[in-house]
Amino acid sequence: MSESKMNLDGQDVTFQEGETVLEVARRLGTFVPTLCWDERLEPFGSCRLCVVEVEGHRMPASSCTLGAAEGMVVRTGSDKLRKMQSTLVEMVLSENPGDECPRCRDLGSCEVHDLATEFKVGRNRFLGATSNASMDDSNPFLLRDYDRCISCYRCVRICDEVEADHAITMTGRGWNKGIATAFDGLLMGSDCTLCGQCIYTCPTGALADKKMVNQGSVPGEIEVTRSVCPYCGTGCSINLHSRDGKMIGVTPVLGGPVNAGALCVKGQFGFDFVNSDDRLTRPLIRKQGKLTPVSWNEALDYTASRLKSIKADHGPKAFYAIASGRAPGESAYMLQKFTRAVMNSNQIDNCSRG
Amino acid sequence: MKTGIEVKDPVTDGILDRLMEQPAPFLEVLHAIQDHHGYLPEPALRQVAERFKIPISDLYGTVTFYHYFQLEPKPIPDIRICENSACCLHDLDAISREVVDVDLGVAHSGQVEKISCPGRCDMPVPILIGEKFFHGARAGAVENMTAATMPLPPETGLEECLFRDIRDGIDTLAGALSHGAWESPKLAASDPQEVLAQMNESGLTGRGGAGFPTGVKWEAVRSETRGPKYIICNADESEVGCFKDRLLMAHSPHAMLEGMACAGLVTGAKIGIVYLRWEYPEILESLQVAIDEATQAGLLGDDVCGTGRPFRIVIRRGAGAYICGEETSLLNSLEGKHPFPREKPPFPTTHGLFDLPTVVNNVETFCAVPAILEKGGAWFQALGLGENAGTRVFSVSGDISHPGNYEVPVGTSLRELLQTYAGGTPDGKAIQGVTMAGISGGFVGAADLDVALDPGSLTELGAMLGAGGIIVHDETRCMIQAARESMHFLAQESCGKCFPCRIGTVRVTELLDELIEHSAGNPVIRDNPLEELADLEEVLGETSACGLGLAAPFITRTMKKYWPDVVQDYIDGQSAKNPGKGDSVE
Repeated sequence: MSESKMNLDGQDVTFQEGETVLEVARRLGTFVPTLCWDERLEPFGSCRLCVVEVEGHRMPASSCTLGAAEGMVVRTGSDKLRKMQSTLVEMVLSENPGDECPRCRDLGSCEVHDLATEFKVGRNRFLGATSNASMDDSNPFLLRDYDRCISCYRCVRICDEVEADHAITMTGRGWNKGIATAFDGLLMGSDCTLCGQCIYTCPTGALADKKMVNQGSVPGEIEVTRSVCPYCGTGCSINLHSRDGKMIGVTPVLGGPVNAGALCVKGQFGFDFVNSDDRLTRPLIRKQGKLTPVSWNEALDYTASRLKSIKADHGPKAFYAIASGRAPGESAYMLQKFTRAVMNSNQIDNCSRG
Repeated sequence: MKTGIEVKDPVTDGILDRLMEQPAPFLEVLHAIQDHHGYLPEPALRQVAERFKIPISDLYGTVTFYHYFQLEPKPIPDIRICENSACCLHDLDAISREVVDVDLGVAHSGQVEKISCPGRCDMPVPILIGEKFFHGARAGAVENMTAATMPLPPETGLEECLFRDIRDGIDTLAGALSHGAWESPKLAASDPQEVLAQMNESGLTGRGGAGFPTGVKWEAVRSETRGPKYIICNADESEVGCFKDRLLMAHSPHAMLEGMACAGLVTGAKIGIVYLRWEYPEILESLQVAIDEATQAGLLGDDVCGTGRPFRIVIRRGAGAYICGEETSLLNSLEGKHPFPREKPPFPTTHGLFDLPTVVNNVETFCAVPAILEKGGAWFQALGLGENAGTRVFSVSGDISHPGNYEVPVGTSLRELLQTYAGGTPDGKAIQGVTMAGISGGFVGAADLDVALDPGSLTELGAMLGAGGIIVHDETRCMIQAARESMHFLAQESCGKCFPCRIGTVRVTELLDELIEHSAGNPVIRDNPLEELADLEEVLGETSACGLGLAAPFITRTMKKYWPDVVQDYIDGQSAKNPGKGDSVE
């Protein structure tokens, strides 16, 4: 295959068929600001921050929607482009009420804040009407506060393109645009699965993990541990966030080989059991009607004797095994082997089949 | 809400059964439901979503985009009154007060709501109740409403193309046939190359404003191998100050239908769709009659004009959205998608309706085709002045003696159009400036009234010819206010997708409001209004995603060019003693 070449900021660079100019630039470490772009989504071309100058084009082009082409000559960082990008960031800052910017909500990441810092601008110019679109949503996990929304529609698009849930949509038009479920209902009454994907593509604090709100400003270092979600056998990569040995939240790993940044409601939000007081920490046997802590040896001996006597008294058909969906394949194999070879029963099932 | 029992609306099911197999049925289905119920009930929308396989959330969002789809029942309609550039030259507050008590023979709620331009700037001020328009409301005389008039014969005696028989009753099929209508499809079927040659020789370019050569567009679609192809007539004329397509469709519908049929026969498309703006209900009726008559006469349908080739035309109504006049938004609207503009390329010629090769032309463009094919491309070309090809229709409104549409040779001077054709200002006041392209083309001030009306000459002045709408402002008008009204319209009609336009049009409107209030005594004024304005103009004009935002700076840049002293007076907090002459200072 012949190599295709284009010129980026004076350097001849190679590109793959189908790459956009933005992808080429980012791959080479060139700074091109974006707000509506997410590598998992189709290019949308709405924030216009990624504009570049293309030789032969009368006007700057948005690099996220511009396919690289043989012989194309592109400049990314002229003074004129930087000035327009800087103005655009100021315009974005002006759109929402409040202080400096649509500030971070949970762990302290906000793309608008980062760009405001990069371009050394604040919420000083172009001030006028603000979006004033805040809304309560009574669900337990996702905080929705459109006072900080910049209308990049990454949440709508990840819900459509990646999750295929189509729970939320763009409403209205122009300044009176919004993001809503069908007929403006709550998330819990919509097709939302509360997977939390919208939170992790949102470039501001408009969407946040309710459990992690303000965690970025609590003193003490947050430790991030890469792990695998314990819920089902899929094996989604997650980052566990903890402070002082206590879990405070889960975030998806964008480069996770199985999930590529996706998680479901359980993996995303269902970690309360880790620090729960109700959590079992040792085996219990009911003695005289009361659950009593015992040693592992006692528990295993007791279970083995009961299984033997059930089989002896009632036959193998009295035994029915249900494997946990959280167990890995090896454990599930062992359980069916045990059920068939030891208990002589073919009655085996898995909770995921429900 | 997921409920156990879904109550289905049998009316909606019937509508869906009837229309689903029709071309691009989406908008028609919604209108049919709304026509029946008076609004779009939730169960009906859920049925529509299911049949179209559109997520219900997306359908809901799309419906909320349009001005005239209603989600709540409203048995008694409000009074709607146009608030845009040509109409706000009249006392809208007084009209709003008075109209409530005038018996117009239609029940209304007594509530008055301002709406975006419904394309009746020649009959200000239009009032809409339900789906009925009343025209010519004036303060103190709201009941004396008048309807549209036929274009005046040209004082110059110059030959016309589009209007040549328009005063002779060609709105009926019989009238059109007696003037030689419906001859050109035979040529289009037998010798499409000849048609393309004539079109190219004529120099006809897109009259919606973009000015792309029509013959080249048809040739591109003809050469595509994928299909089915579509011919779309963009009748979503929605810019303030533009009402030429309304007149052409009312009085010369067969020229447009014939032009579409030719495009179909040349390119191989079998279906034509007229995307008609919702605000023209009377055209919906008369155009449907014209289509039905032509179909019954065998001029459209399975055997177009005896050629043995099929071509049928359907009307699809918009629902109130200026952006749907942008051709890729229009395509999304027809498909039932959120009507944001698409990224170009690809262009509609290769990836148009349902991603298939599509011709999208303006009403006036199609109307010019039959005459070109009858008299030859060279004839049309020669109608223009100098290097310019052909004629075009201008809509003139505002402070003018005879508001209306005028067909003039391309290259005619603006002054001649305003003075000779349209009779100048009604009371002899001096013209201070006019808007161009409707409003998005900025202003031409008094100093430049001799400019030739061709795209290049206007571009040289820093303005834009566009779709040929011109609103005249006499010497008593405040041009800062005029700029504000233009920008306000764009802000109202911005689709909201791209950041520069969504935020920029609102911010420029606010900045102009601030200047106007400051000149009237409000002490508040930002530190560097002109610097902020220039920065907004730059971002709007260079980074916006479609023509709406890209054109917006024409307005304020020409305002500053022609009325710099007034702008400075306003910044200094003084009301301009002399509103300015519109002399260019560069």
